[in-house]
Amino acid sequence: MSWSVHLPALMLAVPLFGAFSTPIVALGGRRARMIWSVLISSVLLVLSFCLLQYVATEGTAVYVMGGKAWNLTLPSGMAYPVRIILEVDSFNSFIAVIGCFASLAGVLFGLRFLDRFSGKVWYSSLYFLLTAGMLGLILTGDLFNFFVFLEIASVSSFGLIAYWRDRPESIEASFKYMLVSQVAAMMVLLAIGFLYGRYNLLNMAAVGKVIQFGLAEKVALVFMITALAMKCGAFPMHMWMPDAYAEAPASVTVLLVVVSQASLVGLCRIVFSVFGSAIVGDVVPWALITLGMISMFFGVSMAVVQHEVKRLMGYHSVSQVGYMLMAFGVGLLAMGDPRQMADFGMTSMKGGIFHMVNYVTYKGLLFLVAGALYYVTGTRDLDKMGGLAKRMPFTTFMFVIAAAAISGIPPFNGFVSKLLIYESSFAVHPALSVVALVTSILTLASFVKVFQTAFLGPEKKEFSKVKEVPASMVLGMAVLTVVILGLSLFPTWVVSHLVEPAATALVDKGAYIGAVLGGGI
Amino acid sequence: MFGSLFTGFGYWDFGSWLLFFILAGAMTTWLRSQGRQDYKKGTEQDQIYFSGNELPDSEEITVPASSSYWGFRKALKPYYDKLVAFHSGQTVTYVGWFLVTTALLMVLVIL
Repeated sequence: MSWSVHLPALMLAVPLFGAFSTPIVALGGRRARMIWSVLISSVLLVLSFCLLQYVATEGTAVYVMGGKAWNLTLPSGMAYPVRIILEVDSFNSFIAVIGCFASLAGVLFGLRFLDRFSGKVWYSSLYFLLTAGMLGLILTGDLFNFFVFLEIASVSSFGLIAYWRDRPESIEASFKYMLVSQVAAMMVLLAIGFLYGRYNLLNMAAVGKVIQFGLAEKVALVFMITALAMKCGAFPMHMWMPDAYAEAPASVTVLLVVVSQASLVGLCRIVFSVFGSAIVGDVVPWALITLGMISMFFGVSMAVVQHEVKRLMGYHSVSQVGYMLMAFGVGLLAMGDPRQMADFGMTSMKGGIFHMVNYVTYKGLLFLVAGALYYVTGTRDLDKMGGLAKRMPFTTFMFVIAAAAISGIPPFNGFVSKLLIYESSFAVHPALSVVALVTSILTLASFVKVFQTAFLGPEKKEFSKVKEVPASMVLGMAVLTVVILGLSLFPTWVVSHLVEPAATALVDKGAYIGAVLGGGI
Repeated sequence: MFGSLFTGFGYWDFGSWLLFFILAGAMTTWLRSQGRQDYKKGTEQDQIYFSGNELPDSEEITVPASSSYWGFRKALKPYYDKLVAFHSGQTVTYVGWFLVTTALLMVLVIL
């Protein structure tokens, strides 16, 4: 048996090992901890590429934790799923790679960014625990296991958001996130309870195979949708997001962005792979579209008036999540009709998935740039900044790329995914595209504001001795810049080789169930 | 790899965009080269024209972020007043809107 069959488990084992081994390695000193952190993240990135390659060549990877077979065969001949299964197809393996890139970027950036502060050993441990939670959410094929990873990610997030524990704002942000997260987690648990009570099953594929759209299932679906939409920051449940994103250290915010996308991956799995065509009527698709539209518009509206750089970017996250929710809503709307799926549904799904990936890269980079600004100026208030472009040429260059990408300016990756979303949503109703376009214009306006006030204009006297951030921080930002440029320069290849297989895997519920369960339960 | 990406309604082609960008850049450079040739760096030609007034201290002419898009915010003041008030920062509001959204969606889906 090749070692590569264990890749899904290794993707969780490596960050967990990193989390628990860091305090021991850190006994060897600061340098040992730093090298260990980079090593763990780099290994994880390599493993994620191996997993992507494995899935591309071998097909969907199904890994049974603690056993060879997923089922228990009863004397009657009925095969019953009893073990935790990790299910990796083209969709979640692609997202996992991007998540690992972001994790590595955060680790590199955090090496010097947090050097002035204490508590770095626990920071590193929680960072890898959050990475494990994020990857677990993306890779698991089991409902209860999903809940467990949701809690792992949440608990480590609470600790990391409150990293600057001498700042009341950080503690408050962490507390607010904890409160809303726990309500959401209980809703997810209730939803799982509803499904388990109905079917005695926790395996996503197995539930997907037998599910009907009755009252219990409707309640479970609504609980799942709202809880996970809250976790990814949809309006009007987004209010924790600007607080948490602003108060967490920049290296952590990058990972929080990925975790929000991991929640969206979970939402997609529930909606498409578990429920899928079992969803009757247009209410659920339109609920996603509506949540997406209001998130887009109100998120960006709030961003335009902010003058605290990380809060501004936090509100933009709400807006960007709106694009994805709308795209997946349009995809779900077309799901029951093969003609609509071919006409615009598939384009919308591709746009949504590509936008998820793009969002992680450019928003992660923007948060790192905000961290770099804070590192050199000691403030997050844009009113107090100015003329930093000459002093920080690398940071400025990478900010311009990320800002252009998030605003949907060609030829950057954000433009390509937004184009797919604009055109497919136009087929459902022109108003959807209008809202998306207006949102993009306001996004550009707010990032022009950041560029003009932080980087351009006359140099402030107090920043006359400012220098570019240390090399490791530049390297952290460069990791995401390279990914953005790669996605921008080769959109055709990316869409046909990575995004399209991911979209196909997501909408093909039958293939998902078949890959996991084979002949049946 | 650089081929066209068809969206079902149109297409995006990075190569075409690059070609257009290069042509537009070349044309702009040529037009610029046809302009005045008597510019001398470091002379009074470099000075900022401030409506005939003496140029104030450089930091005084900075437009701070909170003043950006002043007209936009002024025109939409009623909208922003409501939107900002909506973000009260209270945990009751956070959980409240979460539950309201869940309840609303529940009613719509069950009916």
